[in-house]
Amino acid sequence: MSKLPLIVVLSISLPVFAAELPADPLNSPAWSTIAGRYFKGQPVVFDARVKVTAPASAEDPLDVPVQISAEGLADVQEMLVVADLNPIQKILSYEPLHAAPSLAFRFKVEQSTPIRAAARTRDGVWHLGGVWLSAAGGGCTTPSYGSADPVWQTRLNEVRGRLWPADGRGTQRLRLRVIHPMDTGLANGIPAFYIDRIVLSDAKGLTLARLNTFEPISENPVLSFDLNGSGAVRVVGGDIQGNQFSAEITP
Amino acid sequence: MSSYATARNTAGARFKALVGLALAASVSSAFAGPVTDAMILNDQNTPNDVLTVGMGTTGQRFSSSTQINSDTVVDLVPAWSFSFGGEKQRGQETQALVHNGKIFITGSYSRLWALDQKTGAKLWSYEHRLPEGIVPCCDVVNRGAALYDNLVIFGTLDAKLVALNADTGKVVWTETIDDFKGGYSYTAAPLIVKGKLITGVSGGEFGVVGRVEARDAKTGKMVWSRPTVEGHMGYLNGKENGISGKTNATWPGDLWKTGGAATWLGCTYGADTNQIYCGTGNPAPWNAFTRPGDNLYSTSTVAINADTGKIEWSYQGTPNDHWDFDGVNEFISFDYKKDGKTVKAGAKADRNGFFYVLNRENGKLLSASPFVTKQTWASGVDLKTGRPVESNNRPGDPQKAEKGSSVFAAPSFLGGKNWMPMAYSGQTGLFYVPANEWGMDIWNEPITYKKGAAYLGAGFTIKPLYDDYIGALRAVDPATGKIVWEYKNPAPLWGGVMTTAGNLVFTGTPEGFLKAFDAKTGKELWKFQTGSGVVGQPTTWEMDGEQYVGVASGWGGAVPLWGGEVAKKVKDISQGGSFWVFKLHKSGKATVAQQ
Repeated sequence: MSKLPLIVVLSISLPVFAAELPADPLNSPAWSTIAGRYFKGQPVVFDARVKVTAPASAEDPLDVPVQISAEGLADVQEMLVVADLNPIQKILSYEPLHAAPSLAFRFKVEQSTPIRAAARTRDGVWHLGGVWLSAAGGGCTTPSYGSADPVWQTRLNEVRGRLWPADGRGTQRLRLRVIHPMDTGLANGIPAFYIDRIVLSDAKGLTLARLNTFEPISENPVLSFDLNGSGAVRVVGGDIQGNQFSAEITP
Repeated sequence: MSSYATARNTAGARFKALVGLALAASVSSAFAGPVTDAMILNDQNTPNDVLTVGMGTTGQRFSSSTQINSDTVVDLVPAWSFSFGGEKQRGQETQALVHNGKIFITGSYSRLWALDQKTGAKLWSYEHRLPEGIVPCCDVVNRGAALYDNLVIFGTLDAKLVALNADTGKVVWTETIDDFKGGYSYTAAPLIVKGKLITGVSGGEFGVVGRVEARDAKTGKMVWSRPTVEGHMGYLNGKENGISGKTNATWPGDLWKTGGAATWLGCTYGADTNQIYCGTGNPAPWNAFTRPGDNLYSTSTVAINADTGKIEWSYQGTPNDHWDFDGVNEFISFDYKKDGKTVKAGAKADRNGFFYVLNRENGKLLSASPFVTKQTWASGVDLKTGRPVESNNRPGDPQKAEKGSSVFAAPSFLGGKNWMPMAYSGQTGLFYVPANEWGMDIWNEPITYKKGAAYLGAGFTIKPLYDDYIGALRAVDPATGKIVWEYKNPAPLWGGVMTTAGNLVFTGTPEGFLKAFDAKTGKELWKFQTGSGVVGQPTTWEMDGEQYVGVASGWGGAVPLWGGEVAKKVKDISQGGSFWVFKLHKSGKATVAQQ
């Protein structure tokens, strides 16, 4: 027991990479908060190869389509997507183990905000790209459609998917739709209830990609992945209340 | 997210793992560690924790603590209070559990909180996402959780079981009991027996099939299942384990397929008999003309072998029930001396107004005495046959008519005693029974089963029997059946009872008071206004040399929903949702000196 304080001291005094924080090209009022929360002590660069594609203005703040890509970067270990000015900033994190560093999804936005994608390469550097999304507000604190539309009550965690065959780059595209209300917990009287993990693997059991999703993902999530190889893909996932799903998507 | 940390910095992750281990070691040496079967069986004798709803698997709700007693209780003052929050202020029928520095308390709408035992600060919460279509018959209540290993386990109104990590509140496993769209729900506190999680089902008003199930408490995997309606197959480890009873012996035609007998109040356990005692609800539908026969195992106590999942005995209070004398009431094991010999007994205060004492080894009836002032439906119980002596008080057969002839019957279908558990003190030898004095007009209507719809075939309206009181807390001597003392309460009693070695009996009232009575005389010694009706189950524990009493406050339950004329009487009671904790007053100076 006498060792305990020593160990604690060691763990908090580990050296940090005290890199200078680069200026934010998006000029976000929340940049230093976001940097401190998600990239503290880690090297950060803004990099044009990390692309976020979103509409200039959110037609439906509950369902904003976004695509992220770091196709020009080699060896992407992890991708992180945050919306600076959402009440819950973190939208997802993604490990494209045997997949292209790209992903498409839909999310809920509360007000105009930068959306950032960050890709961490093997050397530990975070490469950031992003865009401003203009929105009228309401997304994250409005009950999801799920609370008005009873579809999730009878079809919770039902998975639909489609595979498109490999293109010239050797990846096949998987699009998934899962029935889930994805409640944020911010709407009065409706507890947080969302899918927090999806793992994709191939027919041999090799894990292709791991995705962690958070409250801002739109209800009945629609997700598109570019996976290496070809053939059937196994989907396994679950939500924060212990409900699990699995499905096999065949070409 | 820890996987990312590991991938990013393996050395750092290892350091963190080491710290985690060191911290875990220090925590487990300072506290009692994970909950084991031995600890659960010994719960009644360990005043520092409360591991089971019922304060022990026998459900006696007796505490050996004496610091708060009939002399000192006048100095009982609030220590802290916790609000359940939100807009979901409905009946709070729960009991707290206390372990490892934490208090676990459930609330209406399938919510559960972990609180710091010292300060009452919230550590974590779990709010179950409920679908719109849930059909709990009698308010959106929950009656408490179970602890096992490092898990807190409770059931939800959409008929699911959820096991949470006691430290983090994260879901470890979840299982579905049955389809909520078929009328199933779950409100009782689960019981742990030999590593198994014992649960029943709610939904007796919807033609569900009552059953008792045992799952591996650590994983949720089913071990055995025992239907409480004759004709249905039981299972053990996935294999057929014999039909309950004999098909069609006491049920006509196909009616047993939607026979009710819901085990909605859960069970108690007698370690010496290895039997799980479960009360079963009314047969479905209410209209008894549709189902001639005794309709086993409705309105009964069934004793199920904890290992084999087979029924070893059953005792039926109301054969062919016609009044919704839904006999789920808890069966409490106790011993008493008769002619110099110890009798292994169990007692149950039934909805039908009889206080039954049975031999708990074989279910043989030892005595049946009224604990209410008026029973129109039966004049007594034949001790030889164990059957009630009925007094021609059944409502008329509607046949093809819209409505059959009505009768006045007492007790009402809300019962001489409803769900709220009584307590037994081995010190006074008395049971403390929260009774109600009311009757009803009841009549039959034709009915057919439709999945998920109310399956009653009866109409009814409740009437108080007396102008000045409905509720009556009664001390019953199980050896004689005599009522030793009573406390009369204007509104119906709907909260649990607890008794302590400090010569005290605690219970709550819809008027908002938690009250303490002298266990021997029934004299009211103390009361505290909690701000809303108390329909929760009081409990007590000791910490740092002080004894604490905790109770949930929050008016609701079946009375405002089903109570007829009585509902009108209680409609002005304020809603609430909070957990109150009390201890003996100490001057500020004394507290500082101690620190």
